[in-house]
Amino acid sequence: MHPNEDLLNAFADESIDPSDRADVERHLASCASCRQTVADLREVLRAAGALALHEPPVRAWSRIERAIRLEAESRQSTQNPQNSESKTSLRVLRVPRALRSTSWRAWLAAAAALVLATVVGLRYAPPRGSDDTRANAPAADTQIAASDSAQSVEAELREAEAHYENAIKGLEQIANAEKNELDPRTAATLQKNLAVIDQAIGESRAAMRSQPSSEPAQQSLIENFKTKIRLLQDTVALINEMRKGNEAGAARIVSGLKDKGD
Amino acid sequence: MDLVTRCQAGDVDAFETLYRQHASRIYTLACRMAGSAEDGEDLLQEIFLQAYRKLGGFKGDSAIGTWLYRLAVNHCLDYVRSRQAKMNKLTETLDAESSFEPTARRETPIARLDLERAVERLPEGCREAFVLHDVEGFDHKEVADLLGIAEGTSKSQVFKARMKLRGYLRGK
Repeated sequence: MHPNEDLLNAFADESIDPSDRADVERHLASCASCRQTVADLREVLRAAGALALHEPPVRAWSRIERAIRLEAESRQSTQNPQNSESKTSLRVLRVPRALRSTSWRAWLAAAAALVLATVVGLRYAPPRGSDDTRANAPAADTQIAASDSAQSVEAELREAEAHYENAIKGLEQIANAEKNELDPRTAATLQKNLAVIDQAIGESRAAMRSQPSSEPAQQSLIENFKTKIRLLQDTVALINEMRKGNEAGAARIVSGLKDKGD
Repeated sequence: MDLVTRCQAGDVDAFETLYRQHASRIYTLACRMAGSAEDGEDLLQEIFLQAYRKLGGFKGDSAIGTWLYRLAVNHCLDYVRSRQAKMNKLTETLDAESSFEPTARRETPIARLDLERAVERLPEGCREAFVLHDVEGFDHKEVADLLGIAEGTSKSQVFKARMKLRGYLRGK
């Protein structure tokens, strides 16, 4: 009889009870299948122990720094309860998790919150003509509430699409207003990447026109929106780093942008 | 003034240095515990924000890296325990189970990316136990304490994870 999986696992990682070891060894001597299982488990263990560290995206620190500064502002404004904007802005950090959900409602909420993220961006890198974008924030909240009554997936997708477009528009406003801060080569790389993403968005839209209920096409469209938003967020982070004169931070972001373009 | 003291005084530049020193390890842990890079990024941000808020209470009883790492582990565990995460993951796990295409029968050592991808697809419960035990190096008692489960459950979850990974990686 073969040893059970628990015994084979314990044998593989050397945690087996000494009283069981001899029995398992005897069995392994005559059972190629169990020997293979133990060899595979040891390979999994070896590979698990050798897994490499991942580098976080370059934008991560910019967001943390922004949130820290917002929180400091928020603390200062507690003596003035009428100033609730900072408190609202802090929600931004938590929202992107919902982007991974397959729920349309979650996409909608996430997209609406990205509009708020744009507002936060504007607070720290105020471009010309930012008032229009700032005005979108309360509208976004209203539309989230309204979405609860939305009945069809298609209607919710349309709403989600509108919110993503809104977020993209806001980020583009920042990026376009401040693009002179970027050196021409970086700006060209960004333009190239944006063109690739726009083409992908166009193709997803075309696929959805021919098959409106196709889930892969819907997924693809949302994924492409998310990619564009991330690129624009990186662009805003880059502009902020350059304004601060942080060459190392800017270089890290530029390196990330180039990697995406390769 | 040392780095921690400067961070405790609210020096954001010092905090950025602390972030640069520890972000990779914490981000990697968060990605693996959460099962995705996107969730890992959210968790990384939340962990460092929480660290910034709590640094005032750091007394220096352990190294700052140890303190930060423990805070990260606890935050990741809070996340995976939350009802919302479980509900989201239920859908995603089903999706992943149906869409996962195993690699061809393996004759060479496991490629790192193959294993990363397979770990992401482990079911909740056994993934955290596997990451904490086989990747991060906690013993079963520590894993049991962290996850709030019995030591025997930790072992069975880790074993289950390994068998599943074996199955994914051998294309079964």
